[in-house]
Amino acid sequence: MHMADALLSPAVGAAMYVASTGALARSTHKIDVEALEKKIPIMAVAGSFVFAAQMINFTIPITGSSGHIGGGILLAAMLGGYPALMTIAAVLGIQALFFADGGLLALGANIFNLGVIPCLFVYPLLFKPLMKKGTSAKSITLTSILAVIVSLQLGAFGVVFETVLSGITKLPFVTFLLMMQPIHLAIGIIEGIVTAGVLAFVFSMRPEILDHEDNQRVIKKSKSLKRVFAILLLTTLIMGGLLALFASSNPDGLEWSIQKVTGVSELEAQGFVHSFAASIQKLSAFMPKYDYASSGNQSSINATTAAGLIGSGLTFALAGSIGFGITRAKKKRKRKETESALH
Amino acid sequence: MKNFSSKVNEIYSLEQFSSMDTVIHRLHPSVKITATFFYILMVVSFDRYAFTRMVPYVFYPVIIIALAEIPYSLILSRLLLALPFTMFAGISNILFDQAILVRILGVSISYGFVSFVTLGFRALLCVAAILILVATTPFTSLTGQLRRMKIPEMFIVLFEMTYRYIGSLIEETTIMIIAYQLRRNSNKGIDMKHMGSFVGQLLIRSFDKAQQVYDAMKCRGYGLYARHIKKVRLTALDYGFLVIACGLPLLFRLLDVSQTFQQFLPGART
Repeated sequence: MHMADALLSPAVGAAMYVASTGALARSTHKIDVEALEKKIPIMAVAGSFVFAAQMINFTIPITGSSGHIGGGILLAAMLGGYPALMTIAAVLGIQALFFADGGLLALGANIFNLGVIPCLFVYPLLFKPLMKKGTSAKSITLTSILAVIVSLQLGAFGVVFETVLSGITKLPFVTFLLMMQPIHLAIGIIEGIVTAGVLAFVFSMRPEILDHEDNQRVIKKSKSLKRVFAILLLTTLIMGGLLALFASSNPDGLEWSIQKVTGVSELEAQGFVHSFAASIQKLSAFMPKYDYASSGNQSSINATTAAGLIGSGLTFALAGSIGFGITRAKKKRKRKETESALH
Repeated sequence: MKNFSSKVNEIYSLEQFSSMDTVIHRLHPSVKITATFFYILMVVSFDRYAFTRMVPYVFYPVIIIALAEIPYSLILSRLLLALPFTMFAGISNILFDQAILVRILGVSISYGFVSFVTLGFRALLCVAAILILVATTPFTSLTGQLRRMKIPEMFIVLFEMTYRYIGSLIEETTIMIIAYQLRRNSNKGIDMKHMGSFVGQLLIRSFDKAQQVYDAMKCRGYGLYARHIKKVRLTALDYGFLVIACGLPLLFRLLDVSQTFQQFLPGART
């Protein structure tokens, strides 16, 4: 579910960065540094554990495909919400840098979808209240399955929302949603069962590892949800603002997508492509607009495109030969250096 | 098991290249980070049909990889990993955006196809930029730069330790999986019914290991304190790199280079 840089527009990427940085700053502020010193190795190991656990693929029954755990709720249940968010952020940062999984611009969005949602919303607002009645293997199982499903559904919604808002996909919002949510329901159920299994096992073997009042000493006592909600509000405002821009320049988006799915003439579609692309450009491009194919005449479009393609081919060739040239020159110099060192 | 050992290699091989000594490696990390961010920002700011406009951006990875003496294959093999999800969004564009943009030699090319190619290409460029950053900047320089950027110490320590623990945990997991497979006499994955106790066991082992490492570190005087941050001045080379690495992408953003380039060819205008 990691989003790549290519799926986001700069505006949406920046908005998600603001939201996630806010949530992270809040977490850092909330955690008592002295108590944390002891907990940092545990957090780091828990983060690496998520990595390792993601490599253990399990077979999803019936479908034959495989899945792995995401870890948001699992970490929150062991470390508490704020430390878990920090851990997830570190994991996502490493994945973006060293695994080409996610991206730097998309890091904000990924931290929000996979970290902030499960750790700061689902965990304190759903998981903890449900566990208040008393911890037992049964309550852990049911609660974690539910919490993982809810987190994944919200996360998948976030991915769809951010992608559509970025104007990257032509897939209508509703269709995209109808594709993503059921897939993630299936994944969520499986991940929920595994998370439940892990937590129940840990609870029976080493209950002290799980997040409870004793472990909560890491979190400062003055615990108020006010600021969390302030961050949420800010995020909503930013996202809402972007959405409003989007909606106002394209009021009939939904209507159109239904029409498009049921089949519509090429001419109309083309008209829409232009207006849709223009509305997205207004939203996402802070640079001078590039009039790619908006001149109406088809033959001039043909000429422009052909010219563009030839130019692109030449550019590729030039780039390739420069790279090749540098590599050769470097090798040559090295050979000379070794030769002169030998003599 | 190939999967596991290769995974460890995969993580740390990039880092091995980061300790080389070339023009690019010697640059100040802040300069490289800024250039990478700026580059990605420029690339993603194009709309989804602007394939030809993005082509000149291929210069950056090609030239930097050559200058940094990183094998192209190392970057290319990782690039492919990044594609699947992006392609999922891209394929839907082919299906939903069938208006014809242009016919070349009798073949109709739709807007959807152009946006599909554009999306894939832009994913490759962004990922390449990040991989180059990591392969040319040692991990400690990266975190050193984060410290200079006043990012809270505990977060950086967490980042460093997570990165270092991964290798040892993957080893632990490998051992457990081998043991499981030997007992089960099959090399299939782990049964769903064993998943909970298997992963749980891994978790308990990890926590024990963390405790041991922490105790050992404490014995050696570890503490969460603000470190002395070495200040490194930017050299003329750094400034030069910054101007070129940010200036050219900006120029390519403002100017259609592919098109301009083509106009210089005699009679190429169709």
